Amino acid sequence: MKKSSLFASASALCLGLVLAVSTGTAANAAANCIKGDRKPPYTIGWADIYSVPTWMKQTQGTIEAEVETLKKQGLVDKLVVTDAQGDANVQIQQIQSMIDSNVDAIILIAGSSTAPARVLADACAKGIAIINFDSLVDTDKVTAKVNTDSSQWGDQAAKFLISAIGGKGKILILNGPAGISVSDDRRKGADAELKAHPDVKVLAETNTPYNVAPAQEAVTSLLFANPEIDGILSLGGALSAGAVLALDKQGRDQVPITGENARQFLELWKEKGLKSWATMQPNWLGAFAAYTAVQALQGKDVPAFVKIPLPVIDNSNIDEYLARAKDFPADGYIYSPYDEELFKKLLAQK
Amino acid sequence: MSMVPSAKSAGALYWPVQARRNIGVRSLFLVVLAFLVAYGVLFPGLFTASGFAKFTQSWFPLALVAMAQAILMLTGGISLAIGATVSLGAVIAATTMAGPLGVAGGVAIVVLAGLGIGAATGFIVVKLRLPAIVVTLAGSFIIGGAALLILPRPGGAIPAWLSDLLAGDTPAAFVLLVVIVLLWKLYLATPLGLSLYAAGENPVGAYRSGVPVDAARVAAYAISGLLSTGAGLFVAAQTGSGDPVIGTAFTLNSIAAAVLGGIGFLGGQGTMRGALAGSLLLSLMISVMFFLGFTPVAQYVAQGLIIIGAVAIPQFRKVQP
Repeated sequence: MKKSSLFASASALCLGLVLAVSTGTAANAAANCIKGDRKPPYTIGWADIYSVPTWMKQTQGTIEAEVETLKKQGLVDKLVVTDAQGDANVQIQQIQSMIDSNVDAIILIAGSSTAPARVLADACAKGIAIINFDSLVDTDKVTAKVNTDSSQWGDQAAKFLISAIGGKGKILILNGPAGISVSDDRRKGADAELKAHPDVKVLAETNTPYNVAPAQEAVTSLLFANPEIDGILSLGGALSAGAVLALDKQGRDQVPITGENARQFLELWKEKGLKSWATMQPNWLGAFAAYTAVQALQGKDVPAFVKIPLPVIDNSNIDEYLARAKDFPADGYIYSPYDEELFKKLLAQK
Repeated sequence: MSMVPSAKSAGALYWPVQARRNIGVRSLFLVVLAFLVAYGVLFPGLFTASGFAKFTQSWFPLALVAMAQAILMLTGGISLAIGATVSLGAVIAATTMAGPLGVAGGVAIVVLAGLGIGAATGFIVVKLRLPAIVVTLAGSFIIGGAALLILPRPGGAIPAWLSDLLAGDTPAAFVLLVVIVLLWKLYLATPLGLSLYAAGENPVGAYRSGVPVDAARVAAYAISGLLSTGAGLFVAAQTGSGDPVIGTAFTLNSIAAAVLGGIGFLGGQGTMRGALAGSLLLSLMISVMFFLGFTPVAQYVAQGLIIIGAVAIPQFRKVQP
């Protein structure tokens, strides 16, 4: 009952995906890196870049839940977890340790889009299934990469905001940290729309970590400098929450803002009656990576890149998300529902 | 108990002096040795050529930044810009070596950048008498910003042969480290090197005795900068590319390694071998905890306990009568 309703809403969210699904044929070619000499039950290594942020904890939660399912099916016997504490060099060392201890699969969020490339090539050469999700590495020596499209994220956010402010006005742009690919890609994705609308004037841009407090601080000082702001193009959920709080504390009127599925932002959205738009980096990418690794190890062909369609939250469906809010941590992210059917469809897409 | 050397000749003096310098770090050496043995037992592949090579490669950049920090702390200075300088070295290497300048040109620029940044920092700290912690904190923003300007997002390339040479299946990194340690020994024998400890421990007394205190300290900053950009070059070779924020964690880790190795914050105390052992312990800890199957949360706790333990053991010995 619950499962089917979850699936119903999942398919509603991923309508384009469902329409696009064709009949997947069982290909006989093995996926990249797979040699076929590894037999179940498998050991999966999860090379986390930084375990402390809530988004990461929630993601690890989905991985653990998936591994429990796979354990029951006798496909996995062990999950090895490392935490690089934000240091890309440590992550490389930990991936090396995973190779040394001969795990069957490595799933990772990369701490650098370039640094782990060589150690991953070593793992690939040893027949280890590598599924890289969220922050990706620029290399072909992995079994599959899984992600949403950051550039599309920026593009859609900019489209919404520009139409919400009527095609002209003064806006702020809130970015994640400088020098991080995801943050850079989202920002670049917004460029085309901004260029196409010369009447939209960018007053200032910020680079802060994806946390509420620094974003609130940065926006507060920008509010002092800019008495007139028509909209905020925020490229991260915690950033949006920070901006809404900053406007609120300064007694300024709320303006159209974009965001992400951060629970705090969604609740502020409802509370302040905002006109807003949000998308998400679903936490279940982690569960999907574990699932995909086991599929690949069993000799199934998996696409080298699995593009996850961006689920969209707007004023029409925000209540569906908030209805589930109590199942998520207060500073966490309310992700769209998922199940094995969805995973199968994602893997079958061409 | 203390070894009073019978000063017959310089040669007879050398080993007793070295032995006395080891006293402070002897327990650290034991801890490191215990971890090495544990690692070897947990992962016998360590004793193969490629296993040893990979392990020394993960240690090497940390060893270099520990030396970079230690040489400054010995003169009574400190640097909060080491991480940023590593990043800068990495992006310079990744943007020049695959271009017309080639590997030789790239190495030259990395060396010049390191020496130049270090010397400039040293000049500001020493000649303008500004606190090192403030100057290098400001420096870390400037240098980190420069790295982002050169390479706004991870990219660039290092010739594959150089990556394979430095970070392939040969212990090239370990050989390089041995060479660098020997060069350090040589440097300590030069007038500037000899002045290093004196300048750190008692700058006024050293100055009155005719020791070139300022020159020794500026030279220490320059060498520190060179070691940092050198670590950046190695990281770029190891990863095959440049990343403008790859070095960030090295600032704190370099201080941790140096302090763990018995280098005092006040200058003139400690030895380079201590700092190297400290960096080796930090690096070993990560691998050993992995093979022991510690969960990430347990790793945070264990890491803290090991560091406190390693620093506290010599103190216990001092308390005993």
